Amino acid sequence: MLEVEQIDVYRGDTQILWSVSLAAEDGKITALLGSNAAGKTTLLMTISGLIKPWRGRICLEGQQIDKQPVHKIVELGMSMVPEGRRLFPEMSVFENLELGAFTRKARETKDRMIEEVFEIFPILKTRKVQMAGTLSGGEQQMVAIARALMSQPKLLLIDELSLGLAPLIMQHISETIKQINMTKGLAIFIVEQNVFMTLEMADYGYILENGRIVGEGEAKKLLQSEEVKNAYLGIGEV
Amino acid sequence: MAQIVVYGIITGAFYGLAAIGLSLVFGVMRHMNIAHGSFLMIGGFAAYWLFHLLKLDPFVSIPLVMVILFAIGAALYKGLFSRLDKLPEGLKINNSMLVGFGLTWVIDNLAILFWTSDVRAVTPSYTGKVWHVLPGLRLPVIGLVVIGIASLVIFSLYLILTRTYFGKSVRATAQDRDAGNLMGINVERTYLIFFALSSALAGIAGVVAAVNYSVYPTVGFEWLLKAIIILVLAGFGKIGQVFAAGLLLGIIEGVSVYFVGATYREVVGLVIFILVLLRRST
Amino acid sequence: MGYSKRGFVISGIAILLLILFPLVAGTQHTLNLFIVLFIMVILAQSWNILGGYAGQISLGNAAFFGVGALSFHFLAWRGGLPLYVALPAGGVTAVILASLIGIPALRLRGAYFAIGTLALAEALRITVGNLFPLTVYIPTAHIVSYNLLSRYYLALMVAVITQGVAYCTIKSKIGLAMMAIRDDDEAADTSGVHLFKYKFVALAFSSFFSGLAGGIFAYYQDSIVPAFLFTPQWTFEPLVAASVGGSGTLFGPVIGSVFLIILTELFALTLGKAYLIIFGAIFIFVVLFFPGGLIDASERIRKSIFG
Repeated sequence: MLEVEQIDVYRGDTQILWSVSLAAEDGKITALLGSNAAGKTTLLMTISGLIKPWRGRICLEGQQIDKQPVHKIVELGMSMVPEGRRLFPEMSVFENLELGAFTRKARETKDRMIEEVFEIFPILKTRKVQMAGTLSGGEQQMVAIARALMSQPKLLLIDELSLGLAPLIMQHISETIKQINMTKGLAIFIVEQNVFMTLEMADYGYILENGRIVGEGEAKKLLQSEEVKNAYLGIGEV
Repeated sequence: MAQIVVYGIITGAFYGLAAIGLSLVFGVMRHMNIAHGSFLMIGGFAAYWLFHLLKLDPFVSIPLVMVILFAIGAALYKGLFSRLDKLPEGLKINNSMLVGFGLTWVIDNLAILFWTSDVRAVTPSYTGKVWHVLPGLRLPVIGLVVIGIASLVIFSLYLILTRTYFGKSVRATAQDRDAGNLMGINVERTYLIFFALSSALAGIAGVVAAVNYSVYPTVGFEWLLKAIIILVLAGFGKIGQVFAAGLLLGIIEGVSVYFVGATYREVVGLVIFILVLLRRST
Repeated sequence: MGYSKRGFVISGIAILLLILFPLVAGTQHTLNLFIVLFIMVILAQSWNILGGYAGQISLGNAAFFGVGALSFHFLAWRGGLPLYVALPAGGVTAVILASLIGIPALRLRGAYFAIGTLALAEALRITVGNLFPLTVYIPTAHIVSYNLLSRYYLALMVAVITQGVAYCTIKSKIGLAMMAIRDDDEAADTSGVHLFKYKFVALAFSSFFSGLAGGIFAYYQDSIVPAFLFTPQWTFEPLVAASVGGSGTLFGPVIGSVFLIILTELFALTLGKAYLIIFGAIFIFVVLFFPGGLIDASERIRKSIFG
């Protein structure tokens, strides 16, 4: 589904990512783990097109996307739940969802998708006309995910799901994501600090440290590996 | 006194029309388009020539003028302002003002070159027609048309911004540009269309100016001054507030001119401007 | 940028030449040209300190210029005050006026200051036009004793003083603070730079010297239409001169003014109004593609040739 081949990425004059390669399989949940300043968000922003890599290639379903403008990448079937949600604060929940279905293709199925999204996150139905900026953290996260689903993407990118969320809500949301993956067969690429919960959810995982991939493997194996246990589970345990 | 208020309302409606394009562009794209006044001037001259060459009633020519200004605005945005898009906000505002200032210079002097500095006005057959509503209360017909146009513009803009996908995408990108991109919105094209739209709005104001007042090549700056005062009064982006501020300015000006005389009319606006800034800065 | 000894030497030679020139080859035409040039340099440098160094774009220098000119006219020609009192008084009046906008607007970020100065200039233009619609003249007594050469030296002196004060300001702590504000005012703020104070100093400098330039103009020009003093060209031309020459540099305004005056001399007669359009186009081009102006462009060329 997604192939990242040896990309170098700079923010200003500083190099953040060094020869990063990874892949996200069709229908699977792939996780990217790493501590705070490892470069995870930069990587996601590069994949989504907000930043362009200096070197290397990124392909979505075989099509090269690293030189395309962001909105074109979205049209090709990628959707992102950005770090910090990035909802449109002065627009209602409903309008935010509508904007998720902005692309021509998505507009045709907009009404159906809104129904579907309200079934997945029933609480949003009650908050339909509320301004997105006034919702709680957990509700905002739900809106962000729902909004990203509106365009019926082939690949969903999620950046830092757990930021600022109470553990119980985090649990609920990650279960919902697992469900979405299973029922729709949607490929998901999730970037997280909360290692334990993410590896429980994921099929495959990568570890990013200081802008370099330092490990990868099946999620279950990673959970049990010594390195991960020592390095992360002390910090990231729920 | 009621008569003065009526004239003030008519003037205010025009001020609102003059300011709305400037306000929207700054609110959404953070471009302070100093050349906005010149767009108004072009609109006025377009109405003038259409009236004199084709005998086209000015208010009927509004759609055509809108198209002309839309094209001009789009071309100028594509060629000039879009190049400033990537700059950080402070630098973007500064440079867009400089470019706008230079553009005003170029456009106004081109106008002098082609059309001379003569003052023009459009005087359709119904100029000066007045409705006597009450004893002592006269409503100029043209003034009513102006208020009508202003209301139509407010209403249409409101509909566009809240009911259409385009309008929503504009509001969204104003609030969070990256997130807008992630929705599949082509932000650059949206900005282009929106800028062109605001130029068209300036064109409408220009037509009104040509009929209700007069146009000459350097008149743009004077209208820009009004638009700036309203911008500061109203904040930017909220349509209703812009027009309300326009009405307020129009009425206050009218009333003070009655008491202090027309000589100091511009000082009124300037004082309001300074007072609003003082309030904002504390 | 190092204002090397070389820069001093060149400036010194240039000033010497300018002092000696009229005694050797000064025709009335060239003297007039130079006076206009000196006024332009003062105005351009004034804009430059505020816009190029402190980062506060002013679109209303015409207001300061006009107020200085008008004050001088009333104080010197109508009020009988001597030149050396009326001229600085004009400058001070301009500063007071500038404060009207400056005090509220400089505390705010964004476009407020720029549009405030624009509003000020425009409002003044119209109001002055209403108050003084007729042309004003230098009183006949002074016309009889009119000496072009002394006006030349006055303008030259004030221009040199302006450059000197600009140089001292830039080199000092004040200049550093201004540039910090220009480059990143948030960072400057958190580092303890008192934003408003330094912005205001820049404004005071800019308005004072623009006011002086206005006074010189009123002293030099035998007749003026008051509203004309406030027309946008008095903002625009110095702005173009400073930007094309190189805003944020000491000599940019000088070079830009020379460039502007030379172009005007060459083209004003042949092209008429069209040359103004060319200026505007050059300006836009510079803002978009060559923000460093001529000085920056020549630096780059020098670097690419000499390494």
